[in-house]
Amino acid sequence: MATPLIEIVDLYTGYNNVPVVRDLNLHVSPGEIVALLGPNGAGKTTTLLTTSGLNPIIKGDIKVFGRSIKGVRPHLIARQGLAHVLEDRALFFQLTVRENLELGSAKGTVDIDQALKYFPALQDIQGRRAGLLSGGQQQMLAMARALTSTPKVLMVDEMSLGLAPIIVENLLTILRQIVADTGAGVLLVEQHVHLALAIADRGYILSHGQLVIEGTAADLNANQRLLESSYLGGGELDAAT
Amino acid sequence: MGGRASHPAQWGAVIERSITQVARWVVAALGIATAAFVLLDAEYRHHFLTGSGVAQGALIAAVALGVMLTYRGSGVVNFANGVIAMYVAYVYTVLRRDGDLFLPPLPNPLSVIEGIVHQFQPHDTFHLPDIPTQISFGNGLSFWPALAISLAFCIVLGLVLHFFVFRPLRFAPPIAKVVASVGLFLLLEATVIRRFGTRPIAVKPIPFLKKTTQMNLGFIKLNQEQFFVGMLVIAFAALLWVLFQKTRFGLATRAAAENEKGAVVLGFSPDFLAGTNWVLSTVITGLLGIFVATSLSTIEPTVLPALIVPALTAALVGGFTSFPRTTLAAFVLGMQKPLISYLGVNKTWFPKSGDQAFPGVDRVLPFLVIVLVLYLAGDALPARGSITAGRLPFSPTPPKWALRIGGPVLGLAAAVFGLFIFSPAYRGALSNTLVGVIICLSVVVITGFVGQISLAQMAFAGISAFIVSHLSSEHGWPFPLPIFAGAIVALVIGLLVALPALRVRGVNLAIVTFAFAVAVDDMIFKNNSVNGGFKQALVKAPDWIDPNQPKQRKIFGLIAGDGKLPNPTTAIFCLVVTVVLCYLVANLRRSTTGRQMLAMRANERAAAAAGVNVSATKLLAFAISAFIAGIGGAVIAYRSGNATPDKFDYTQSLVIFAFAYLGGISSVGGAIAGGFLVAGGLVFTFLQQSLGVPPEFTLLLGGLGLVITAIQNPEGIAGRLRTDGLRLKAKFQKPRSPSSAPTTAAPLVDTGSP
Amino acid sequence: MALLETTDMTVTFGGLRAVDSVDFRVEKGQLVGLIGPNGAGKTTFIDGITGFVPTTGNILFDGHEISHEPAHRRARRGLGRTWQSLELFEDLSIEENLQVAAEQQSVGGFLADLVIPQRRRAYANVQFALDVLGINDLAKRMPTEISQGQRKLVSAARALAARPQLVCMDEPAAGLDTKESEDLGLRLGRIIDAGTTIFLVDHDMGLVLSVCDYIYVIEFGAKIAEGTPQQIKSDPRVIEAYLGSAAGSHEAAGPHESAEPEK
Repeated sequence: MATPLIEIVDLYTGYNNVPVVRDLNLHVSPGEIVALLGPNGAGKTTTLLTTSGLNPIIKGDIKVFGRSIKGVRPHLIARQGLAHVLEDRALFFQLTVRENLELGSAKGTVDIDQALKYFPALQDIQGRRAGLLSGGQQQMLAMARALTSTPKVLMVDEMSLGLAPIIVENLLTILRQIVADTGAGVLLVEQHVHLALAIADRGYILSHGQLVIEGTAADLNANQRLLESSYLGGGELDAAT
Repeated sequence: MGGRASHPAQWGAVIERSITQVARWVVAALGIATAAFVLLDAEYRHHFLTGSGVAQGALIAAVALGVMLTYRGSGVVNFANGVIAMYVAYVYTVLRRDGDLFLPPLPNPLSVIEGIVHQFQPHDTFHLPDIPTQISFGNGLSFWPALAISLAFCIVLGLVLHFFVFRPLRFAPPIAKVVASVGLFLLLEATVIRRFGTRPIAVKPIPFLKKTTQMNLGFIKLNQEQFFVGMLVIAFAALLWVLFQKTRFGLATRAAAENEKGAVVLGFSPDFLAGTNWVLSTVITGLLGIFVATSLSTIEPTVLPALIVPALTAALVGGFTSFPRTTLAAFVLGMQKPLISYLGVNKTWFPKSGDQAFPGVDRVLPFLVIVLVLYLAGDALPARGSITAGRLPFSPTPPKWALRIGGPVLGLAAAVFGLFIFSPAYRGALSNTLVGVIICLSVVVITGFVGQISLAQMAFAGISAFIVSHLSSEHGWPFPLPIFAGAIVALVIGLLVALPALRVRGVNLAIVTFAFAVAVDDMIFKNNSVNGGFKQALVKAPDWIDPNQPKQRKIFGLIAGDGKLPNPTTAIFCLVVTVVLCYLVANLRRSTTGRQMLAMRANERAAAAAGVNVSATKLLAFAISAFIAGIGGAVIAYRSGNATPDKFDYTQSLVIFAFAYLGGISSVGGAIAGGFLVAGGLVFTFLQQSLGVPPEFTLLLGGLGLVITAIQNPEGIAGRLRTDGLRLKAKFQKPRSPSSAPTTAAPLVDTGSP
Repeated sequence: MALLETTDMTVTFGGLRAVDSVDFRVEKGQLVGLIGPNGAGKTTFIDGITGFVPTTGNILFDGHEISHEPAHRRARRGLGRTWQSLELFEDLSIEENLQVAAEQQSVGGFLADLVIPQRRRAYANVQFALDVLGINDLAKRMPTEISQGQRKLVSAARALAARPQLVCMDEPAAGLDTKESEDLGLRLGRIIDAGTTIFLVDHDMGLVLSVCDYIYVIEFGAKIAEGTPQQIKSDPRVIEAYLGSAAGSHEAAGPHESAEPEK
């Protein structure tokens, strides 16, 4: 087996030395979409932030492209080929769409054209300031900007936030296409479980900072009851009054 | 119940919004009308479009462009940028005059050690080797080599400032960055004064520019130098505009300023961007400083630093983002000066003070513009989306032992030493320290408890001091009534200055108060009808306070004093006021109001949710702080027997802020420590009297200490003593319970039973 | 009469309706829950009720129209809240944190404070809050010294120390593990028993379903369901909102198009 793009080993991470994620093991290989799922506060976003070096590791390790990220400054991790679409999208609202894309791109116009192919809707609004875009357009821009760096692995955090499911489905289909074309790996954090599992190869479900289940998307989908209970509360649905 | 928009309370909001809107239009209309009038009237135009005005404007623009670069690159509002312009201009001037590059470890710190040794060793036989404080390039250099070396110096300075001062502060709260830049201001200014004194030095001309060659551009006449600097500034502004609009570096800087995290995940290093912008800033500021100094023919250490106020004004007008708007505003602010001085002399309607034109009107304009911009635009500084924000220094509750034993013991000791033991020099130092404690207390209330930066505390004190002088000597008010009158006026003015504080906070407020201090300094304190000119503004004090009463007194059967000045009981007066105020501030910290202030400082939203009226509490803090500063000013007036402008100028406000921060910004203990440190206080008198450290070191050590404190030890001396004490205590005590450590989430069920 | 009642309450950010004409009631003594997916507008709803974002429509609290009052006045009326991010006053001890909420300040009180501070005014309220949440032993500690779970309790206690009639709790269980979350449920019960009404916003469906009397569900700022826990649990729209549309069923997608912001 090839070296995984991301390999998370016995990870404890959180804020102010208080772990939010406990004992997590996870890996992402080239060409696959891995969904990281779970209710709010489960620690998904924290895991991604830690992987791109924006949050410190408390215990355990994270390897990106086979090398530990401990002590590596976050912008250097990004330059190795790890792209991260942050939960708040982190667009530069004062800059135009084009300028946002230029900042993502290392090589110039070729990458931008490549990225715009996936999001033709952005083609005609390149001169518009990013702050004026609609939510769906902003999400597209965030993903396009991540793509312009021709990443080897892409982490996407809650791309459905504030978007209607139909748009999300659309974006997920594009994501699948990107993986097929470029062979990149994707680590996807998503709250719409069924939508995510519809395009993912494998999934991990976190609850209260701990891994509850992992498996192929098909297995997870088949186990409907387990899924619902991890979201709607500890399998005690019927016991509650 | 009413419908959607019919509720009376909502009308209030609508009305407020429309007032702001109308005010914006009115201000814009007035501005355009004034500009049109000045430009259309031949007489006004002639005195507005002048060569010296262009040179002034260029200088302001230079400082402003540098300020904007560092703000956009690193989020630091650099109050020291005017001083940097001056410092580099001195470097260049001295290179051309003597061929020497003087280095910042100045004066030679080893001379302090020699001084100390000589105290104990009467024969001056002990000499340490001089460490180099300058590099000599032979005799005076010609223009190009001197310029090249000066620019190399700028690059090094920019890197040093980035790596050793502001990079360590990148996660610190904005106040710590302001503190560091104020420290830098004092440090660089002190270095120059220490080395060259305050007398103007001639700057050699630039070979290819002639002062004598007048150029007539039709609408304006100026000499070659003035034309050159004006063009140079415009060229730099244009270059910066291109850099920030069109290049990847500029885009990345703008992007990182808006969303640092976003820039990092795209592979940009905020650190690299900040450092590069620092270097750009020092190079541009320094280069223009050199040329403008040349066009002014001489350089002195007091003019350029104060230019930071109009420069900040121009930067605010440009929203800290627009280089063209900032440059335009800077030129207007520079060019209004010759016009206003012309009007002052020639127009009968111009406000007069005595038979002279009212001074400092040109300094008021920047202050008014700042207030207007901040009021109409709200928080004018675009917020930076940084990754983390640090916390302000901890403010401990005064412990019982300090109030019951520490305070009385310290007070009694001060009384005994002041009356019976201290020599005249130390008696004066004791009074200085006590007065310093009072002003530091005013800083503790506003900055320590509420987290707002005021750089105008000595201005409030000065207003009160001059009122005391007038009421006591001209209107014959008996002691202590003038003290309260002065303090109450200071309070009212403090409230007026604080009104913008309801809309702005943090760094913006520091800018408002600093501009206020400069304006008051020039308009009121330096006004001869206020400060009495040659006669001085004297204070009539009762015998026992009057410092010029060397009479010995019998107190508890002991003789106080040695028949020399200063009067020993003067210190007792200072002591009584200081002790009362210390207890009031300590009580404030222990009271509901104090808790509300600290709650607000930690988190305004959460404080409002807990029922704290944030606006009222903020105003109250300003009122208390200005009142204490006012009392301090009154005490200064009584204890010196006069009120003089030099005691209250804007630098003094910076200095006292520095010492308050050094002592510890958030506690009464910190204010006391700060008082010990002030210029002429006990610590420096000891260094001077017993160890032979020259007095010029006060400002130098103060500035250096401030920079180091901001970086290394934000809680100040008092905070450090407290944490060290706690650590010692913890060593001797067993840990209370296993759950006391802030480790992983402890089980909730164990935390207590109902 | 309901203790809190909103009629047609709306919060807009630019063109986005973050809370979209929500009608909602809380009866005295009840524990009412609000759930919805991430980004549905739950925190904005609390912000609107407690005065931290401007709203249109009506908010009636204890018989008074409060929708145009500043936040601190609503707090003084007995409308308390906690924050998801807790927002403790880090420079004050736990006890002082509670005191800030418990004490009212007047001009006379301020002047008296300068002479005799630390009169234990309103201390009964502080004690009450410490007792209800069972954190008496934390009183003298600093917020930096305690665990995340304990901080959550302090945050709730601070809201209680003002003796509010209603306390809005924003995600008190986020970041807690399962056991801590169950324990929190017990303590919420104690708050209700002490006579304080609770409005609970949380993602932990297990917690909300087990402790609440009545539950509202919102998605894209609009109310999509309300009812008892039993009704909510069996509501297909709720399951869909949480797990996303199950294969093929997209009928819910239509009305959501308004949620795309036009900033």
